[in-house]
Amino acid sequence: MADSTPMAMVEPAETGGGSSFWQDAWHRLWQNKLAIFGLAVLGVLAALCFAAFLWPNITGYSYEQQNLALGPAPPNHAHWLGTDPLGRDLLARLLYGGGISLMVGLCATAVSLTIGVIYGAIAGFAGGKLDMLMMRTVDILYALPFAIFVILLMVFFGQNIILLFVAIGAVEWLTMARIVRGQVMAVKRQEYVEAAHALGLKEGRIIFRHIVPNLLGPIIVYATLTVPEVILLESFLSFLGLGVQPPHSSWGVLIKEGAEVMEEYPWLLIYPGAVMALTLFSLNFLGDGLRDALDVRGSKD
Amino acid sequence: MLRFIARRFLEAVPVLFIIATATFFMMRLAPGGPFDSEKQVSREVRARMEAHYGLDKPLFQQYLLQMKHLLHGDLGPSFKYPGRTVNEIIADAFPVSLELGCEALAVALAFGLAAGMVAALKQNSAWDHVPMGLAMIGLCVPTFVMGPLLISAFALHLDWFNAAGWFFPRDRVLPALTLGAYYAAYIARLCRGGFLEVLNQDYIRTARAKGAGGARILFKHALRGGILPVVSFLGPAVAGLLTGSFVVETIFGVPGLGRYFVTAAFNRDYFMVMGSVLFYACFVVVLNLVADVALVWLNPKLRFE
Amino acid sequence: MPLLTVENLRAAFHTRNGVVRAVQDVSFQLERGETLGIVGESGSGKSVTCYSIMGLVPQPPGRIEGGRALFGGVDLLACSHRQLNGIRGRRISMIFQDAMTSLNPFLRIGEQLIEPLMIHEKIARTAATDRALAMLDEAGISEAEHRLKMYPHEFSGGMRQRVMIAMALITKPDLLIADEPTTALDVTVQAQILELIRKMQNELGMAVILVSHDLGIVSGFCNRVMVMYAGRVMESARTDDLFYDTKHPYTRGLQNSIPALQMKGRELHTIPGQPPDPHHPLPGCPFAPRCGHAVEYCARGEIVMLEAAPQHGTACLRVQKENLSI
Repeated sequence: MADSTPMAMVEPAETGGGSSFWQDAWHRLWQNKLAIFGLAVLGVLAALCFAAFLWPNITGYSYEQQNLALGPAPPNHAHWLGTDPLGRDLLARLLYGGGISLMVGLCATAVSLTIGVIYGAIAGFAGGKLDMLMMRTVDILYALPFAIFVILLMVFFGQNIILLFVAIGAVEWLTMARIVRGQVMAVKRQEYVEAAHALGLKEGRIIFRHIVPNLLGPIIVYATLTVPEVILLESFLSFLGLGVQPPHSSWGVLIKEGAEVMEEYPWLLIYPGAVMALTLFSLNFLGDGLRDALDVRGSKD
Repeated sequence: MLRFIARRFLEAVPVLFIIATATFFMMRLAPGGPFDSEKQVSREVRARMEAHYGLDKPLFQQYLLQMKHLLHGDLGPSFKYPGRTVNEIIADAFPVSLELGCEALAVALAFGLAAGMVAALKQNSAWDHVPMGLAMIGLCVPTFVMGPLLISAFALHLDWFNAAGWFFPRDRVLPALTLGAYYAAYIARLCRGGFLEVLNQDYIRTARAKGAGGARILFKHALRGGILPVVSFLGPAVAGLLTGSFVVETIFGVPGLGRYFVTAAFNRDYFMVMGSVLFYACFVVVLNLVADVALVWLNPKLRFE
Repeated sequence: MPLLTVENLRAAFHTRNGVVRAVQDVSFQLERGETLGIVGESGSGKSVTCYSIMGLVPQPPGRIEGGRALFGGVDLLACSHRQLNGIRGRRISMIFQDAMTSLNPFLRIGEQLIEPLMIHEKIARTAATDRALAMLDEAGISEAEHRLKMYPHEFSGGMRQRVMIAMALITKPDLLIADEPTTALDVTVQAQILELIRKMQNELGMAVILVSHDLGIVSGFCNRVMVMYAGRVMESARTDDLFYDTKHPYTRGLQNSIPALQMKGRELHTIPGQPPDPHHPLPGCPFAPRCGHAVEYCARGEIVMLEAAPQHGTACLRVQKENLSI
């Protein structure tokens, strides 16, 4: 569309400095109210959960402290969110569990990020047959019900939390690999890379100054969007009894326990459910906002 | 086209083989055996049961035997349900899961496509924000929260449905909705994205210049390009529907294959686990092939390769 | 009565970074069978003018801020959607620069070709297909029957453009708007396409608006030429008058910049400077910063088109006030 949206012409020097890509992106992100809301919520939650981790008695109760005499109680003055059938303070468990869920989210995302970026970058750079082989493998793996394997792994090899990170991370890396490879291929073909070659720049410099910065955008976006998927997967596993084990809690565990007694003690399901949903919302809004701000368009999503 | 299909089947064979092998060794190497929970029986009886099923032979020999059986389509007996073979159990349970999966998919497609298309057409209006907001809820509220909530609201308080069971047609509603919600949300977002991208293309402008009205532009021009991301997603979506059914079947008491699979894993019911895994894997491979064929068929540029 | 009368058309884009006034106060008339050329560089507003007339400007972020476009008694800028759809593709057709992206890659050519007939005329599919075949023939595409079943990506660039033309003219419109139809094509093919348009124009007696950045092409093809810059019309005249009695420095600059008309071996002539920033328009004549003839009042005055000679309008303040010779 040659003339439909006039392009900004070269700015004469007097109209002030230009802004870099990142500054523009931050500016756009800032204008996205939902994304900023998400960011704020996440910040508050993370701070609270982290605090609960460092000072387990912050609410006055620890997450495992039982009070059998009290039993399950609806929200009241002493226990702001109520207690569960074993008399444990829900707020404490919620914050502690939040810490665990968030940590699983971040670690598993980090695992999938590492695997995915390396795999995708190799495929993208290599091109040709190697790339075709690697991507075909990804295509095949993408379609399989990986959750089945995670379940098997967790059932058979015990509920080791490290294993949990690795298992979940190993499921989620495929999308990241695809994105990274796509981006590397797209950037490789850009004219500015050709121009850099024509100017005689060395390969390494080209990679670091031109290709890598263009990878950061999609990586950031998809990492942000992977975290909620991971948290969902972890809670799914916990629901089946495979994830985090008692007396530790995670949101998945809390929801499972709450669902069991939902009829009589609804607060035990509602609060954990609401907090988890809120966190996932925030992550998704933030991810969407980042995607718009950094102007990233996935190939299949 | 036929070559494409044939090639995909050929690719599938080694994949299934690897899955079978991995599953086999994972199960056997894991701690615990199928008869550990039979506390009542004595040591000797247990040893005899294991011998009966060939579990006392060397591992590799068991592996070869298993592969041989698999090639013949014999999935073996179940430990947990003596007297029933895995084939029988799957034959009973799978149709249930299949029905649930299809209904959930129908829900997901109906809501997802409609919401996505409308949102793209009326971008940035209420018709866009509201469905996409609902979609966000569908994405962020897990099935095991939504399920109990729906049960609580519609079955227990309003008494429109039964809380669990799979006897009457109306028993399908809540499980299908619960399972389909996440996929409806995902499809709505993909569809919206796909349509937005198509609606910005030059050929839509040409269609407008020809005097085409909204409906014609949407269904004749935009549809084929706009649903491509949705079709791509269908492969993994089906995989997810199958696995998601574990939770839904548990919550709603649906006698489907998913439930059998999870309990089999817990019980170390080796043949049942192997049978379910392979069955699912095959199913997903076939469905992916269908989705990929659809993708190629929809895009003329790919069709003539 | 003229076929098309455009009065004081104003269109703007409200973007993140500010308002871009793409078209400012453009007016012109077009008679039946006449050929009007609109010339300007990228960003001059020539395409947006045509999109505005056709109602193809995306309404956010774009907006028609004023003016009228009268066609057959109907104001295209103010009429209902249904009326507009009845006119588009039937009485006014448009072809675009890039035929590859302007044709739907998912539909067969035959389907797209008969679409205007299916929308606007109540004829059966078979009858429409016959007309499509005839059109392809006219457009110089051989093996028409076979081609109908093909997809756009199976055609070459020149053939795709022919298909676009056939598609646009199948309803025998009164006006064809051609937005840079040859820019994406090889030079030899360019001539063929222009030939084709000329031929169809003669047969159908229709008017043509040809938009281009290439003054050379426009001069060979059009009765009248309108030169646009920064969203405004700078000069408008019959082709011969525009060349032999130029009344605007920008037009002169464009003429001087045609490489083919310059002496070989010498440095190529360019108009110094850059087009203005559309986000920050300056007062007065937009060309003044680059104009060799500019004086101090050029940066102040209000810019309007005035007739400096019969059927020859100019927006140059100096020509208007002092009858300056360019």
